[in-house]
Amino acid sequence: MVDIYNDYKERADFLTVYVREAHPTDEWQMKSNVKEDVCYAQPRNLEQRVAIATDFIKRFHYPLPLGVDDVNNGANDVYAAWPERIYIIDETGHIAYRGGIGPFHYHPEEARAWLAARFGPVTHRGIPPATSKN
Amino acid sequence: MKWVIGGFSALLLLTFIALCVMAGSPRDVYGMVRYALPHMHRGNLRVGDDAPDARLVALDGSNRFHIRERTGSKPLVLIFGSYT
Repeated sequence: MVDIYNDYKERADFLTVYVREAHPTDEWQMKSNVKEDVCYAQPRNLEQRVAIATDFIKRFHYPLPLGVDDVNNGANDVYAAWPERIYIIDETGHIAYRGGIGPFHYHPEEARAWLAARFGPVTHRGIPPATSKN
Repeated sequence: MKWVIGGFSALLLLTFIALCVMAGSPRDVYGMVRYALPHMHRGNLRVGDDAPDARLVALDGSNRFHIRERTGSKPLVLIFGSYT
């Protein structure tokens, strides 16, 4: 997603929304989380959510703008977003792209394809532009 | 009656095995059924619908803003996710 952001940040706005954890230690923790040292309990309040989101940004030097969904899960509920999902909202405030539910149907390349269709593909020297699988 | 119970048990076993293959292990099947499935929803939004608004909190933990404030001048790519 960071590559897509870097390629299109001048032509589209980006906003990451941090929602409730998918694999916290007190719920369905994955072995990969332990291996990668990503071990957090499910946040019970806003301060804990902000702290985890901040850790994420610091660890990966995540450049995209980010907002945190409050513990009432308001954004998650209206967008049916959990555990991960992508939407694109056009300039008129309508849904222009609705991605599938992650992880199995989470396909950033589809968002890239939408941006490429709108603004043209971004090519990097020696690397052909990425295309959608669909 | 024995055949019905046997068939039902076999069906349950096959379903469990299929879930184990899909999720990775019996522990993951439990995690998926207990924690993931209740929170996964397709939702009712469709392409062309008005994008719903929601209030978010900035990383300073106190300032709040609306998704709608970020729309209008350019398309807005919204990425939902967590750390784990």
